[in-house]
Amino acid sequence: MDPSQTSRAEDRIESSDDAELAELAHRIDHAAHLLPAQGPIAVFVHHNTLHAYEELTFHEAVERGARRFGCQPYLSEDRFREELRTGRIRFSELQSVLREDLGEQADRPVPCFGTRFGLRLVMLQYAHRSGPTDVLQWHMAESDSLRRVRPEASAAMRAQLVAETRRWVMRDLRLWGNGSDWTGASNGLLEGLGARRGGVRIEEWGPEDWEAFSLQALWRVCCDGVGRSGKLLPVSPPRTRHRDLLLEATGEDADRLVNEVLIPFCAAFLDQGLAHWRLPRREAGFFRSFCALYRRAFGPPRAWARGLARELGELEDGRVTALRSIERSLEELGVASEEQGEYIASALLALRGWCGMIWQLEVRGDRAVNPAPPGSLRGFLAVRLILDRYAARHVARAGGIPDSVSLRELRAELVGRRDRPGLGVESRALAIFELAQVAGISADRLYPLSDSAWGELLGEVEGFGELERRRVFQLAYERRLYTQVLDALELHNRGVRRRVSRPRFQAIFCIDEREESIRRHLEEVAPDAETFGTAGYFSVAMYYKGVDDAHFVPLCPVVVVPRHWVTEEVIEGSGDGESRRKRARRAVGMARHGFHSGSRSLMAGAILSAGVGALASVPLIARTLFPRATARFRDRMARFVRPPQRTRLQIERTASEPGSGPGGRGFDIGEMTELGAKVLREIGLTDGFARLVLVIGHGSRSANNPHKSAYECGACGGSSGGPNARALAQILNEERVRERLAARGIRIPATTWFVGGMHNTTDDSMRFYDVDLIPEGLRREFAAVREIMERASEANAHERCRRFESAPLTLTPEGARQHVEARAEDLAQVRPEWGHATNAIAIVGRRGLTRGLYLDRRAFLVSYEPSEDDEELGTLAAILGAVVPVCAGINLEYYFSRVDNVGWGSGTKLPHNVTSLIGVMDGSASDLRTGLPWQMVEFHEPVRLLLVVEADAGRLARLLDRGGDVGRLCRNGWVQLAAIDPRTREIRVYEEGEFRPDRAMASVLPTASSSRDWYRGWRENLEFAEIGRRGSAAESGEGALT
Amino acid sequence: MTWYERVLTGSGLLVVGAPALVAAVMGLVLLLGYRLTERRITRLLEGATITGLAAAILILIGMLATGSRRVAITLGNWVVVPGEYHFAIKFVFDRLSVPFVILSFVLIGTIGAFASRYLHREEEFARFFMLYAIFLLGMVVASLAGTIETLFTGWELVGLSSALLVAYYQERPAPSRSGLWVWSVYRVSDAALLFAAVVLHHLMGEGDLSRLLGSGTWPYQHAEVASGQALLVGLLLIVAAAGKSALVPFSGWLPRAMEGPTPSSAIFYGALSVHLGAFLLLRLDPLIDRSIWLAGLLVVIGLATAVLAYLSSLVQTDIKSALCYASLTQVGIIVVEIGLGLRYVALVHMIGHATLRTLQFLRAPSILHEYHLVENALGEHRPVGKAPSWARLAGASVLGWLYRLALERSYLDGFLREVVVEPFRRGMLFCDRFERRWTDRLSGGESRESDHLRDPFGVIDELS
Repeated sequence: MDPSQTSRAEDRIESSDDAELAELAHRIDHAAHLLPAQGPIAVFVHHNTLHAYEELTFHEAVERGARRFGCQPYLSEDRFREELRTGRIRFSELQSVLREDLGEQADRPVPCFGTRFGLRLVMLQYAHRSGPTDVLQWHMAESDSLRRVRPEASAAMRAQLVAETRRWVMRDLRLWGNGSDWTGASNGLLEGLGARRGGVRIEEWGPEDWEAFSLQALWRVCCDGVGRSGKLLPVSPPRTRHRDLLLEATGEDADRLVNEVLIPFCAAFLDQGLAHWRLPRREAGFFRSFCALYRRAFGPPRAWARGLARELGELEDGRVTALRSIERSLEELGVASEEQGEYIASALLALRGWCGMIWQLEVRGDRAVNPAPPGSLRGFLAVRLILDRYAARHVARAGGIPDSVSLRELRAELVGRRDRPGLGVESRALAIFELAQVAGISADRLYPLSDSAWGELLGEVEGFGELERRRVFQLAYERRLYTQVLDALELHNRGVRRRVSRPRFQAIFCIDEREESIRRHLEEVAPDAETFGTAGYFSVAMYYKGVDDAHFVPLCPVVVVPRHWVTEEVIEGSGDGESRRKRARRAVGMARHGFHSGSRSLMAGAILSAGVGALASVPLIARTLFPRATARFRDRMARFVRPPQRTRLQIERTASEPGSGPGGRGFDIGEMTELGAKVLREIGLTDGFARLVLVIGHGSRSANNPHKSAYECGACGGSSGGPNARALAQILNEERVRERLAARGIRIPATTWFVGGMHNTTDDSMRFYDVDLIPEGLRREFAAVREIMERASEANAHERCRRFESAPLTLTPEGARQHVEARAEDLAQVRPEWGHATNAIAIVGRRGLTRGLYLDRRAFLVSYEPSEDDEELGTLAAILGAVVPVCAGINLEYYFSRVDNVGWGSGTKLPHNVTSLIGVMDGSASDLRTGLPWQMVEFHEPVRLLLVVEADAGRLARLLDRGGDVGRLCRNGWVQLAAIDPRTREIRVYEEGEFRPDRAMASVLPTASSSRDWYRGWRENLEFAEIGRRGSAAESGEGALT
Repeated sequence: MTWYERVLTGSGLLVVGAPALVAAVMGLVLLLGYRLTERRITRLLEGATITGLAAAILILIGMLATGSRRVAITLGNWVVVPGEYHFAIKFVFDRLSVPFVILSFVLIGTIGAFASRYLHREEEFARFFMLYAIFLLGMVVASLAGTIETLFTGWELVGLSSALLVAYYQERPAPSRSGLWVWSVYRVSDAALLFAAVVLHHLMGEGDLSRLLGSGTWPYQHAEVASGQALLVGLLLIVAAAGKSALVPFSGWLPRAMEGPTPSSAIFYGALSVHLGAFLLLRLDPLIDRSIWLAGLLVVIGLATAVLAYLSSLVQTDIKSALCYASLTQVGIIVVEIGLGLRYVALVHMIGHATLRTLQFLRAPSILHEYHLVENALGEHRPVGKAPSWARLAGASVLGWLYRLALERSYLDGFLREVVVEPFRRGMLFCDRFERRWTDRLSGGESRESDHLRDPFGVIDELS
C-alpha cells in the first residue's frame, strides 16, 4: 500500500475515534481557504486575490483581508491626494461621493466644523499628521509648525485664523500700564505666550508675531481641550503567535530561523523537476519525509534546533500522524481550543506562498507533474509547529526569559511585559490643530467648547480614520472613470447605429481589452469590415497537442474541464521522413538537455566550459546587444534546418466516445454544430455573412520571462488561443456542420470561408492557419485582407508604443513594429508588453455601441445580440457566466497587485528566481511570490471593473437574482454594473440591488479624425473620444455605419 | 622611449583611466545631488567600457606584434623611506592580466548593456550603476596590479561594490542581511591580503610583485624567496583567495549574493567576482611553486570545494542556486588546476567558464521555457531526478544523510556561525560584561548612559 494512503487511513481511523481531531482537521481545512490560490506559474490563471472573501461586500472584504494579510486595501492617501491635485479625482465628484456615502448623516452638526460632511471633506482634502507622542513632541519643537500656518491652508483661512485670534486676545487681555496681565486671559491658558515675543509691546507685534501667537494659542487650546475630554486607548493589533510577541519584545524574528529550514525543504518537496536529485521518500508525504530526513544524526550545526532529531525520530518510530503531532504541538504551545482556528491560520499564513502552493498541488494535483500527496498541508503545519516551538524557546532564552517559563506561559508573560504608550494628549490634539488651520478655525472658537463637545469633536475626527478616507477616495477615483465611460457611451449612441451592411469581411476576436485597439484600427483601415468579440477559446474547450508538443494542454477557461482532445497532425511527407525528423528532433533535444545538465556537472562541466565555454560569448553578446537581429537570424536558421510542414487539426472523431487515444480525438458532427451555433448566436452573427470570416485568437511571446503565461489568453487558461481559432474555423467550414446549422436557422452561404489566425499581442505579428485550403476564388481577396490586417497590426503596435517609455513618441508605424519585435526577443526586457494593465471596463453588447469610440485599450468587448435572445436572457446568462469571472478575475488580480505590490503582488521582477518550476522567489530563500510583479502593474489604475450590458434592466435584474457567481459579484460590489437599453439606449446603474437612472454629466464627446490623431504625443491614460468625424468618409462609403 | 612604447603606455593608462574617470564623474555628480538620466548613465559606462576595451586590445596587438611579454606602467613612488618602505602604484600587462582584463571589459560591458534595459524605470538606477562603475574599476585595477598595494586597492573596490550590490534592495531585511554576510566574509579575506602585504614589505622592503615573484614574465617566473617565507605569505594569500572565490569553508556567501537584480547575480557567481580569487592564485603562482605544501593545500581545498559544491548543485531546486553551485564546482576545479601547476589550462578554463556561466545566468528566468522546449523535443517528460549512481551504492541511510548534507549546503554556514562567529561573539559579550562590572564598581552605580538612550530616529518614519 502506498505510504501516503496509509497515513491518510490512519488519520481517518483517528478522526472517527476522536471528535477533537476531526474538529482540528476541519479547522485546518478552513484556514487553508485563506491561502493564495495560485497554481504553478507556467499556467498562470488570473483570479481574485481575495476569492475567499467574495461572500462579503468589496469594501468589507478588502478591509478584513488587509488586516488578515497585513496588506494595503487601497492606494495610499497621499497618492489619492495627488490624484485630486492633478484632476484625476474631481473635487465635485469627491463631494458627491462623500454625500452619498454619508446619506442622512451628512448634515449632522459637528462643533466648530459645521457638519459632518464639512469636516470629512476637509479631512479628505488635507492630510493631518499622527504618530507616537514623543515623535510629535519632537516635531513640534523642531519644525516651524508653531510659527507658520500650514502651507496647504488658503490665504483666506490663514488671515481669518490670525485676525480672529488677535481680536480675541486684545479683547480678553487686560492691558494695564506697561505690562500685560496674561494670567487673566482665558483662565491662564495663554500664560507666558506673550513673553516669547521678546519683550516687544503687544501693539507693536508684526504679522509674523501674530501668526506664531495664533498657532501657539491654538495648540494650547487643543491640548487643553483634548486633555479634558477623556482618554482613548489605542487598539494594538492582536498578536496571536509566539513569534509575533517575541519579535515585539526582543526584536528577534523566530520565523527567520524556521524559514531557513522550511523554505529549502518546501522547495525540494514541491520540486517539479528542477533538481537533478529529488527528495528521498517524497511519496510518503511532507511530514514523513521531513522526519525521515531530519531525524538522522550528524545534522547541520544549529543551536536552536538541538533535540529536534530525537523528537522527529520518536514521532516516526511511534507512527504519530501529522494531525496528532499538530495537536500535541498546539497543546505544548498553550493554544486553547477556541483560538485554534486563528492560531492555525496565522501559522499557515506566515509562509503563505509556499503553503498555498502545497495546498494547490494537493487539491488540484491534475495541474502538476508531481502533485503533492494528500495530507501534505497537515504535514506542513505539523512541521511548522514543531520548528516554531524550538525557535520560540531559543529566541525567548536569548531574550533573557528564563527556561522556567514554559511555552504555554510564554505568551501571557510577554503580553504582561508589553509597554505600549497610550495615545497621548498631544498626538490627538495635533489632528485638531492641523485641521483647524486649514478650516480657518481659531483658538477662540475652540476655547469655549465644553468637555462633552470636545469629546464629540474628537469622536468625529477619529471616527473618520485613514481606512475610511481611503475608501471614499477610491469611490471618487472610480467615479471619474465610470462617469467618463457612461457619458461616452451615452453621447456616442445618440444617433441610430446598426450593423455594417454588406461587410467586405468579418473578424472574430477575443474579448481581451488588448484586442480593442486592433479591432478599432482594423475598422479604421477598412471601414467596410465588421468585427466581433467572444471569449478567446471560441467555445472550443479542448485538450490540445501541437505537432511539436510533448503533452496535451487544456485550452479553455479554468472553470471548464474539457471533454475533448485535439491534435495537430502532419499531412505531408512520407511516414519515414516524419519519423526521421522526430528522431532528429529528439536527438537535438537530448543534446540540449545533455549540455544543460552537463555544464552543471563536475567533469563534463569542466570539459565543456574549458573547451567550448568561450564560444558562449557569441550568443551572449549577440543576444544582449542585438536582440532583434539575432532572433531573425535564428528564425531563418531554424527554417533552413527544418522547413515548415503542412499540418491539420485532427478535429473529427471516429470513435463514439471522446478520449486521448487516436480514435477518440476530436468532436463529432453534432458536437461541432452545437458549439458552432453557440458562438454564432452569442455574437449575433447568424446572417449577413461576408465572404471571408477571420477567427483570431491571441497569445504572447516573450523571452526570459517566467510570468509569460500571465500575458497569454485568459480565456484559454493562460495559453495561446491560436489552436482554438483554427479549430473553430475548421469546424465552420465543414459542409455537414453547415447543413445542420442551416436546419437551426443559421445559413452560412457556400461562398463564405472561415480562416483561423493568431494575433501575438507582444510583437503584433499575425499568422493564419490552413491558408492552403482557401478556395481558389477567394485567394486574391484573402491576400488583400491579409494586407489590411498587417496595416492594422502595425497601427496597433504604434498605439501600444505610446505607453513604452523606451519607445520615442516620434516612431513611425514601421518603427513601432520593429520596436515591439525587439521587445519580444530581448532577454533584458522585463516589460515585453503591458498585459492587462489597462483593463477597467467590460462592455457586453453589439459592436455598434462602441464602434468608432476610442476606448484606449481599456475595455473587454463582448459581442452579444440582444434581439436574438429570449425573454429570460438565456444567451446572455451563458455569456456573462463565462465572461464575468474571467474579466473580474483579471481586474481584481491587477487591483490587488497594484494596490499593494509587495504584499499582494510578487514585488519587482528583478531579483526573481524561478524555483521548483512552480513559481518565483526573491533571491535564494524567500517565500514563494504569488500575484503579479511590479513591472506588469506599475501603471495600472486600480479600479473595479465596470460591466456595461446591453439589455433591458428589469430582465437583467431578474437574471442576477437567479443566483450564481455573476449576481454575487455584482451585488457585493466586486464588479460595478450598468445596463444600456437595447432600444431606448437609456443607461441605468446597478446600485444596492436595483437599477437606477444614470445622470449624464458631459455634453460633448471629443472627436478626432483617427485613433492616431487622438493618442499621439501622450503616454498617460486618455479620455474617450469619437474617432472619424461624422459626415466624413465613413458615412458616405459603401456599407459603412449609418 | 620609442613611439610604440609610448602608444602602449598611453593605451595602458587609458585602460585604467577610463573606468576611473567614469567612476569619479558619476560619483561626483551624484554626490552633488544632480540627477543623471538613464540614458546618460548608460552612455558614460558604455564609453568607459569601449575605450578601455579598445585600449586593452591595442596593447594585446602591440605585444603580439613586438613580441613583448610584459609592459609595466609605473605611476610613481608615492611614499619612499629608503631601505625601509616603498609605496608604488604600478600596472603590469602580461599574458595573464591582458586576457583577464579583456574578459572583464567584455563581460562587464555586456552585462551593463543588459542591466541598463533590465533596470529601466528603476528608482535607484543611478545607485546601481554607480556601484557597477566602482566594480568595473576595481576589477581592472586588481587584474592589472603590479604591486600588492595596487592589488589591494582593486580588491577592496570589488569587495565594497559587491557587498553593496547584494544589499541593493536595502528596504528589505533579507538583502541587507545577506550583504552584511558577504561583507564579513570579504573582510576576513581582505585582512588576510593586508597581512600578506605587510609580511611582503617586511621581507622585501616594498610591495612590488615582480620582486616577490622573481624576474621573467608570467608564466615563466621564478620566485626567489625561501620556501618557509613562501609558505607564510602563500597561506595568507590562500585565505584571501578562498574568501573571494567562495572556496571551502567560505562557500556559504555565494547563494546569498543573489538577493540583488539578476545582472548583479550574473556578475558575482557567473562571471567575475568568483574568479578573482583564482586570478590572485594564478598571479602568485611562482610563489606556490616554491612550496609543495601550498600546492597540496590548494589541491585539497579545490577538490573539497568542487565535490561539496557539486553535491549541493544536484539538489538545488531554484535555478539561480543550481547555477551558482555549478559555478562553484568549476571554480574548485580551476583551483585544483592551479595547485597542479596547469597555468594555461586554468586561465583558459576560467575564461571559458566565465562567459558560459554569464550567458546561463542572464537566461536563468528562461528555465521554464527551456525545459518546455526540451520536453517537446523529447516528446515526453524529462527523466525524474535520481540520486547519482555512485551514491546509490551506499544504501538508503547514507543516501538520506548525503541528501541532507547537500540540501543544507554542506553545513558550511552553520559551521562558521556556530564554531567561529558564535564563540567570538560570546567572547566579546564576556569582555563587555567584565568591563561593565568594573566600570559600575568604579563609578559606584550604573555607569553606562547609553543603556537608557532610546533610538532617536527609529520612529520618525512613522510620522512622515
